[in-house]
Amino acid sequence: MSILLRDAAARYLRTKSPTAADGAVQRVSIEIELGGRVETVMLSFRDGSLCCVSSDGQSDGPHVLAALQFITAAERSEEAPRISLNPGAAMVLETPQAPELAEALDDLLTAIARVGADKSRYAPSVETAIERVVQVAPQPTPAGLARFVGRLQQEMRSGEIWRIARVLEGASQLVEALRAPEATRESEQRIEAWLGPRPGTKPSVELLFDRTMIEVGREWLACTDRARIERRYLVDAQSGAVYREDRPRNASASLGPCPRELRVGLAEVEAGPTPKRIRVLQYEVQPDVAEKSWERVRQVASRSIAQLTESYRRSVRAYPALGEPFGVIAPYRIETGDVFKAFDSDGHQLVLDRTERRGAVLAFYDLLARGEEPTWLAGRLTDTGGTLCLVPFAFGTRNRPYLRL
Amino acid sequence: MAHNEQTDVEQLTLCLQQGIAGSEHVDPREALGLTPDAADARVARALVRTLAHHDLQQIGTHEIDPKAARHPSVRPPTEVAMDPSFLGRLSTTGSAELSVERIDDIATILAVLRAGSRRQRRAALGTLRDRLRDRRSVSGDGLRQAVETLLELRDVELGSELAQIRAELPGTQGREARNEHEQWKRLAARVESSITAFWDGQSSVEPIQALPGDQRALLLMRIGELPDSVVHHISAIIEGSDGCTMLESRVGLLASLRYATDPRLVPALIAVIEAERGELVARAARVLGGIDDARIHPALVERFERSFLEEERLALAAALGMLGDHRGAAEVRSSLEEDHPRLLLQALEAMESLGSAEHTDLVMKFLDHPDVVIATQAVRTAGRIGDGRVLDELTERYNTTSVPALRAAIEDALLAVAARMELRGEEAAKIDWSEVGNKPDPRKSRGDSFPSIFLGWRDYFMGRVWLLLGRLSWAVARFESAAARRNAWVVPLIGIGMAFARREQYALALPAFRRAIEIDRPRIERNPILVRAMAKSFLHRAEQVEKEGAPGTVRIELKRKHEAFRRQEHPHVDSAA
Repeated sequence: MSILLRDAAARYLRTKSPTAADGAVQRVSIEIELGGRVETVMLSFRDGSLCCVSSDGQSDGPHVLAALQFITAAERSEEAPRISLNPGAAMVLETPQAPELAEALDDLLTAIARVGADKSRYAPSVETAIERVVQVAPQPTPAGLARFVGRLQQEMRSGEIWRIARVLEGASQLVEALRAPEATRESEQRIEAWLGPRPGTKPSVELLFDRTMIEVGREWLACTDRARIERRYLVDAQSGAVYREDRPRNASASLGPCPRELRVGLAEVEAGPTPKRIRVLQYEVQPDVAEKSWERVRQVASRSIAQLTESYRRSVRAYPALGEPFGVIAPYRIETGDVFKAFDSDGHQLVLDRTERRGAVLAFYDLLARGEEPTWLAGRLTDTGGTLCLVPFAFGTRNRPYLRL
Repeated sequence: MAHNEQTDVEQLTLCLQQGIAGSEHVDPREALGLTPDAADARVARALVRTLAHHDLQQIGTHEIDPKAARHPSVRPPTEVAMDPSFLGRLSTTGSAELSVERIDDIATILAVLRAGSRRQRRAALGTLRDRLRDRRSVSGDGLRQAVETLLELRDVELGSELAQIRAELPGTQGREARNEHEQWKRLAARVESSITAFWDGQSSVEPIQALPGDQRALLLMRIGELPDSVVHHISAIIEGSDGCTMLESRVGLLASLRYATDPRLVPALIAVIEAERGELVARAARVLGGIDDARIHPALVERFERSFLEEERLALAAALGMLGDHRGAAEVRSSLEEDHPRLLLQALEAMESLGSAEHTDLVMKFLDHPDVVIATQAVRTAGRIGDGRVLDELTERYNTTSVPALRAAIEDALLAVAARMELRGEEAAKIDWSEVGNKPDPRKSRGDSFPSIFLGWRDYFMGRVWLLLGRLSWAVARFESAAARRNAWVVPLIGIGMAFARREQYALALPAFRRAIEIDRPRIERNPILVRAMAKSFLHRAEQVEKEGAPGTVRIELKRKHEAFRRQEHPHVDSAA
C-alpha cells in the first residue's frame, strides 16, 4: 500500500475534525465492492497513525486500496477552504524526540538512584524528572510510557525496592533502544510497546477472526494520573490466551459489562508486553455468559504452576516495566486453612497477593469461609520475595460458575 | 577481584534504597565492576540492571514468602464505634454473642425495627419473618402487634424486605402484596427480553431508561431477585460501558439504587468510586454504604483518603459510618457547624450514621429550617440519633407544621426515639429552661474560648447551688447549659446523672451517663469510683426494668451484668448500658 496514499487519507480525515469539541474521527467503516466481492474496510486512528484493515483480514489488499482512493478522491474534490489541522493530532505524527526522551529517562533513573528509593517519592528532583519525561514525550502521552509513570509512582509509594529496580530497568532498556545506532527488530518492538508505532511504519499486529472471548475481570489503572486506563481481561475460549483491552478514560472500546461473552469477528492483537493488547473491531456481545462458556474457561485454564511461573518470568524479563501478566489457573487441589494455597499436580503452589485489591482478597476469604471451593481462579500475576502470587479478580466453583471479586 | 554474590546484592540493594549520593560507607562502583570515576548515570543503569536480573532469577525459587503467609483475613483497622449501648453493640450476624438473630422477644424485635441502624432493622425484619413463619412460637398479642407494625411501617430503606414479608401475611394486605409481586415478575421478564434485544442490536433503546419512573423504581426495589443478565446490564450502565447512557441518566440510576443491597452491583459501584468524581462518586458511595460486602470498606477508605471534594467526602464519610467506621465524623460535624447551604442536606444525611447524642443540639438547630427538605432530613437524623432531649422539640414542631411529609417524618422519628429509649431503659428528663433564660446555642468552634469556659463553670456552680437547695429541675437546666457551652466537657453530665441517681431516678440518670461515656470514655474508665456509681445505676435500673417485664434478650443481658458486678468485677462501662 502506498504510504503516501494512507497519509493523504489520514490528513483528510483529520481535517474533518478541526477541534476536539466537534468530535474527532476515530474510525471509518466503508463497504467496497470489487470484482463482485463486498468487503468492509475499517480505517482507524491508532496512536496517531491510520490503520487499515478489510474484513477479509488484509491490511494491504485491493479493497483497502480502493477505500483509500475513495477517501483521497473526496479530499481532492473538496471545494471548501482547507481547515487547519488539529494541533494535538499533528503533534502525534511528528517524530518523537528520541534523544531528548532518552536523556530525560536517564535523568529520572539517575535522580532516583542518587536520592534513594526510600526517599524518592518525596524528592523534588524525582518529581521534576518525571515531569520532564512526560513533557518531552510525544503528546498525548503514549499509553506505554504513561503506564510506566503510573507504575513507578505506585512502586515508589509501596517502597518495594525490587519492584522499583524492575520498573527502572524497563526504562533503562528503552533508553538503550532509543540510543541504538541501528534499529533492530527487538529495539523497534520495544519502542513501539512504549511509544506506539513510529509514524510511517506499519504496526506489528496479528489479526484474529471468529473467536469467542470471555471477559473475566476489569480494573482501573494509574498512568500519569489516577484511573487513566480501564483494563479488561479477555480469555480466548479456544486457546486460553489472555488479552487485555485498554480503554483510556473518556474513550470508547468494546461495549458491555463484566462478565460478558464476546463473539469477535475481527480483532487486532499487538505485539508487546503480556497480556497482549487487543483491539476488538467487529464483535457481538452477550452480557449473560452461558454456563458452558465458564466450563470452557475452566478447561483452558493453566494446570501447571511451574509453567505459569516460567511464563511469568519470561514476560517480566522481556518487559520489566510494562509486563503485567494475567493468569487463569485450574488448581489440582487447594488448601483453605489459615492461608489460601493453590497447588498443581506436581505440588507447586500459588498464594494470593494481599498488597493489591485488598477488598477482593477479603471477599475471597469470606467466600472460602462460606464453603466455596474454587475450581478455577483468574487474576493478575505478581511475585513477592520469590513467590509467584495472584491478585484475584474472579473464580468459579462447582455450584457457581463465576464470582467476580 | 572475587566477590561474594549475595553480599554484593545486599550492598547494592542498600545503595538503591538509600541512594548512591548519600551512601558514604559503600560505593557500588566496585561491586558493579565499574571504574571509580564512572558517571552516576552509568552507575544507576548498572545498579538497576543487576538488581532486576537477580530479582527475576529468584522468582519461583521460594516455596512461600513469610509475608504472603501471614493471616490474610485480618480486617483493616476501623475507628471505634461511638455508641456503646445495647443497640450500638447489637450485631446483625448470628455469630456474635449479642445479635438480632438471637432475640426471641417480639417486642424487642419490633423496637429494633423502629430504632436500629439500617442493617439492624433489616436483620430485625429477617428475624421477625422467621418468627412469623413459625406461628406457634409467637403469642396472639405478639402476632397482632407484629402484623400491625409491618403494615404501618413506612421505612423506604427496607422497601424490598417489607414487600417480601407483607406478601407472606394472610388477608387482604398479603393478597395485595402478592399481586404486586406478580406484576413485578411480569415487568422483570419484559425488561429481561428487552435487554437481550438491546445487546443483540435489535433495539437501540436502553430498556431501563426507557421505563417510566414508577416502573423503574418498582423494578429496582427488588433488584436482588433480578436475573444475572439484568444486573450485569445495570452494572454496564453504572460503569458507563453500555455505550448510550448519558451522565445524568447514570446519576439518576444510582439515585434509584440508593437502598439496593445486592452484592452483584459492588464491582461496578467500586469502579465508579475509583475512576469517577463528583456526584457519581457521592451517589455510588451512598449505595455501597448499605451493602454488606468485604470489598466495600477498603475501597471507600482509599477514596476518602484521596478525595478533596466536600460533596464526595461527606457521602463517603456517611457510607463509612454505616460500616461502623467513624473517621469522617469530625468533618461532617464541622460542615454542619459551618452551615454551608449547599452541603447541609448531605451533612445531615451523614449524621444519620455518624451522629451520637453529642450531636443532638447541632441537629435540633435545623428542625425549624425554612426549607422543608432540610427540616425533614433533620427530623430523620434526630430520630436515628435517638436522644430523648429531642422529643419536646419534635412534638412542638409536629403541632406547628402543616406539611404532611414533615409530619410523617416526625411521627416516625418520635416512634424511633421512643423505641430506642425503651431498649436502653431510659426516660427523658423535663428541663425547665426558665431559670437559665435562653438555652445556649450549640458551640461553633472546636476549641473552648475563655468566656465559654468561664460561663460553663458559672452554670455548673449555679447548678450545684440549686441542687443543694433541692431545685432539681433548675439544677439540670444549669448543668445542661454548662455542657452546651464547652466541647467534650463531661463534668456537668456526670452531675446530672449523679443527681438523678441519688434520687433513685435511674431511668433519667442513664441518658446523662451515656452521653458522658460517649464524650469522654477514657476519662470515665480511669475513675473507679465513677464507674462503680454508674454501674450501680445501670443495675438498679435493670432491676426496675425486670420488674416491669423487660424483653427477653435485655433481661438475659442484664442478668449477666448483674452477676459480673456481684463478683466484684469492674464491669466495662461500654457493656453496662
